[in-house]
Amino acid sequence: MNDAEPNLLKVTDLSINVAGASLDLVRGVSFTLAKGETLCIVGESGCGKSLTALALMGLLTTPPMLVTQGSATFQGRDLLQLPIGELQALRGNSMAMIFQEPMTSLNPVLRIGEQIAESVCRHKGVSRLEARARALEMLQRVGIPAAEKRLDEFPHQLSGGMRQRVMIAMALANDPTLLLADEPTTALDVTIQAQVLDLMRDLQAETGTAMILITHDLGVVAEMADTVAVMYAGQIVEIGPAREIFEDAQHPYTIGLMSAVPSVGVRSERLVTIPGVVPSAMDMPAGCRFASRCPFADAICANVPSLVDLGQRHQAACWKAPLEAQIAQVDRISV
Amino acid sequence: MTKTDIILETLDVKRHFVTARPIFGAPTIVRAVDGVDLQIHRGETFAIVGESGCGKSTLARLLTRLLTPSDGTIIYDGNDIGELPEHELRGIRRDIQIIFQDPFSSLNPSMTVGALIEEPLRVHGIGDAQARRGTVAKLLSKVGLSIMSADRYPHEFSGGQRQRIGIARALACGPKVIIGDEPVSALDVSIQAQIINILENLKEEFGLTLVFIAHDLAVVRHMSDRVAVMYLGQIVEIGQVEDLFARPKHPYTAAIIAAIPVPQIGTKLDSVQPVGDPPNPIDMPNGCRFHPRCQFAQSRCRIEAPKLRDTNGAHSVACHRFDELNLSGIRNLPNTRRSSARTRFELYRTARAHSDGVKDAPTTI
Repeated sequence: MNDAEPNLLKVTDLSINVAGASLDLVRGVSFTLAKGETLCIVGESGCGKSLTALALMGLLTTPPMLVTQGSATFQGRDLLQLPIGELQALRGNSMAMIFQEPMTSLNPVLRIGEQIAESVCRHKGVSRLEARARALEMLQRVGIPAAEKRLDEFPHQLSGGMRQRVMIAMALANDPTLLLADEPTTALDVTIQAQVLDLMRDLQAETGTAMILITHDLGVVAEMADTVAVMYAGQIVEIGPAREIFEDAQHPYTIGLMSAVPSVGVRSERLVTIPGVVPSAMDMPAGCRFASRCPFADAICANVPSLVDLGQRHQAACWKAPLEAQIAQVDRISV
Repeated sequence: MTKTDIILETLDVKRHFVTARPIFGAPTIVRAVDGVDLQIHRGETFAIVGESGCGKSTLARLLTRLLTPSDGTIIYDGNDIGELPEHELRGIRRDIQIIFQDPFSSLNPSMTVGALIEEPLRVHGIGDAQARRGTVAKLLSKVGLSIMSADRYPHEFSGGQRQRIGIARALACGPKVIIGDEPVSALDVSIQAQIINILENLKEEFGLTLVFIAHDLAVVRHMSDRVAVMYLGQIVEIGQVEDLFARPKHPYTAAIIAAIPVPQIGTKLDSVQPVGDPPNPIDMPNGCRFHPRCQFAQSRCRIEAPKLRDTNGAHSVACHRFDELNLSGIRNLPNTRRSSARTRFELYRTARAHSDGVKDAPTTI
């Protein structure tokens, strides 16, 4: 990445462990995020993608989870070292988060309008009336019909898609420069998901907010991402511009993941799968963490691979990359 | 299509739930399934798709007779099973089995995996204890689990492995029809692919009829022969999977196809999405149930409910305007992967096929 480019967020070597145990949950995660950029972190359950976001927001449950090393520089300050007071001044203000489950992340006993106005009051020091006007404006911007009436409703009176719109209105109420969205559309139906993704893209174009979008859905990634980071078992195994990842995937895990998704276009006989399951944090392999499930693994994979530059800002952590140059011809003949 | 080719059939089947019965005034009724006609052919994979609350899970439970219809008929193999009392359902239960969505809550946590898989055999009095143990071992290997798993408890297994246990249990007493209620939607992509392959292999091996409920259209496209699209308790379109995805005739089908996020750069469409949310099934709109969200709705759609009509012998749709609308279906996207990347995907596929071939288990992943 261009060093001269002013990064909004620079995460370096972030590691998260369970306190007192040697359980690696996230190991050595580094990435940068420019203003207005969308980074998608994609991976399966337990790969550490949500923990990474929670650590940046200072929302890790500590104990037992503990950031053991690394830094996350945002607006010149290290988020991981900030005292709670300064963190609270940032959260909901210049950085905000949208969670997966809009029902459990909204307060069920507070009216929608009050919940949005709350953060405006707190961070902008405006009167309740002004904050309420801002809440109304936000509800209208996220496309909630009859917004005036909705202001005084409770979360249970709204549908799932509407609740997620309220979450977005709440997160964007103070014009954050950084938005973290953890599986924001996973709980939604496909037509509602399309509406919410469109909305997020439009608002982002309007406000220039940078976004970290966490998802397991490669389709969502292709629609939203500028940059993609693929995580596996707590590490980034491949990172690069979205086009590079989708058109020139390098890591066997990325290739396996893309092969395992059924296609809506061409119908294949049987899906190509990734065998086995993710190793548990309690017995993580010493070398490459994907080696036990990788069809190309051999002796060298007992060593830890580091992210190697493949050009075009594209990096992959694999001893065998690029595969076409390193895998014996004999396999290819049997195609 | 002769009569015997149809294994499971519903005729105008309805299931209404009364949610509140006030002292005064009319009770609140949810019309979860509201007049469904289906014919499921022997040996096919039939998918029922729709958004949350469209009644697809209720329909699955009606087909297995876990629920009794409020009205209408369910015919299994020529016999009306809709009205059968509980004690006469035992034979049906042996023939029609269900796989549930949530592999965490659908297995009894205090039973060993062996006991869980053996239970249906015991209930139906199939074999003696020794024969049953043999069957359990065979079933475990069919779903790709080791025989050692029999003595362990469900909590010791991951989600994907539990779904395998659920499949083994459903297969235990030799069913003819398997109904899957979102059998793969709670699973991660790599695990989902494993379970899809297992289901397809087993279906072939045992000549099963597979009916599955899904909301993921890519999974539906991959697995099914025919598809029914449900909206608010009714089927709005039904047809062969290729035909329905390529040439949808109902605006709702076209909308959900257009909304599928495709894992390829530059495929994002500025498609016209249905506005708003699905209405509440308690308070159904008049006329066509989709009309408040439909961009093609006319005055007729607000008054008169369209009937499901056959268009070409194999593709039916419930829309007044199906023959004047020219809806687009799934697009044929060019493969944008670079040639080096295509080589890598091919290497991966070959290597995986090779390592699967080496294993001696009959049905592995």
